[in-house]
Amino acid sequence: MAEVELDPVIHAQARLRVVATLASLGAHDRIAFPRLQKLLDMTAGNLSTHLRRLEEADYVLITKTHEGRTPATYVELTLAGRLAFQTYTQSLRALLGGAS
Amino acid sequence: MTTDEPRPDADAAPDLADALAIIAAQRARADDTRPVGALLFGVWGAAWLVGYGALWLTARDDGDASLLAVGVAITAGVVALVVTITHVLHRTRGIAGASAREGALYGLAWPVAFLAQSMIVGGLSQAGASGEVISLAANAIAALVVGLLYIAGGLLWRATSMYVLGAWMALTGAAAALTGFPDSYLVMAVAGGGGMLVGALVVTVRSRG
Repeated sequence: MAEVELDPVIHAQARLRVVATLASLGAHDRIAFPRLQKLLDMTAGNLSTHLRRLEEADYVLITKTHEGRTPATYVELTLAGRLAFQTYTQSLRALLGGAS
Repeated sequence: MTTDEPRPDADAAPDLADALAIIAAQRARADDTRPVGALLFGVWGAAWLVGYGALWLTARDDGDASLLAVGVAITAGVVALVVTITHVLHRTRGIAGASAREGALYGLAWPVAFLAQSMIVGGLSQAGASGEVISLAANAIAALVVGLLYIAGGLLWRATSMYVLGAWMALTGAAAALTGFPDSYLVMAVAGGGGMLVGALVVTVRSRG
């Protein structure tokens, strides 16, 4: 059996959903935290926890800005995150292809 | 117990096949952040069909469109414009960065191009062009603007359907100019409006297939 490792940062239910969603946006696109939360149907606390883990791995970039007077948080996939997701999906396909 | 509670399995590694399904599902979900092309083609197709249709129906006898028909055409255009702007803003809310910037610049190209169109038409009028020439030129240039901007949008969003529709609209306006007044209105209504409605149908069917 070929040893194909799945990135443990991405290979977890919730974080896979987060990364897959961010990867579906255009390169260099940012998404507002509440909109991302809606696309994922996650609670704010839950999403923050997973984003922190992804941020530690340098897979996402979190930007805090102000829109008028309201603070706004934007999330985007970094180049490293995009590459890691690509590698992850390739490995996944390789593993599934090998299994069949 | 509420659904707000973090799911205990949220951190668990998914089954391999499940992982692929999760990716596909979220990709589909993220489509919510993009405008629906078929809806916009349909709205504009209907507006052209109704607007130009009304102009043709009242102009075919004496050559002059009635005030009511002009009102209908303007209303159809305004409704389609409001639907477009509302839809695009709603779908892209919360998205910033490269595509938001490209989208804003693309959106701005429309009023700029139509300002240029109205200035050209004004220039023709000043130079003494007849009402018929002004009408034909105004329609053909408007269709050319729509066509070329659709072509640009098709390139920007890699949407071949939009590109093809743009080419069709530009040629429709030109064909209407050759047809002459007032049947040019019929060409705009049927080939232009109808063409966009067919485009909306094709895009819808293909996205489901």
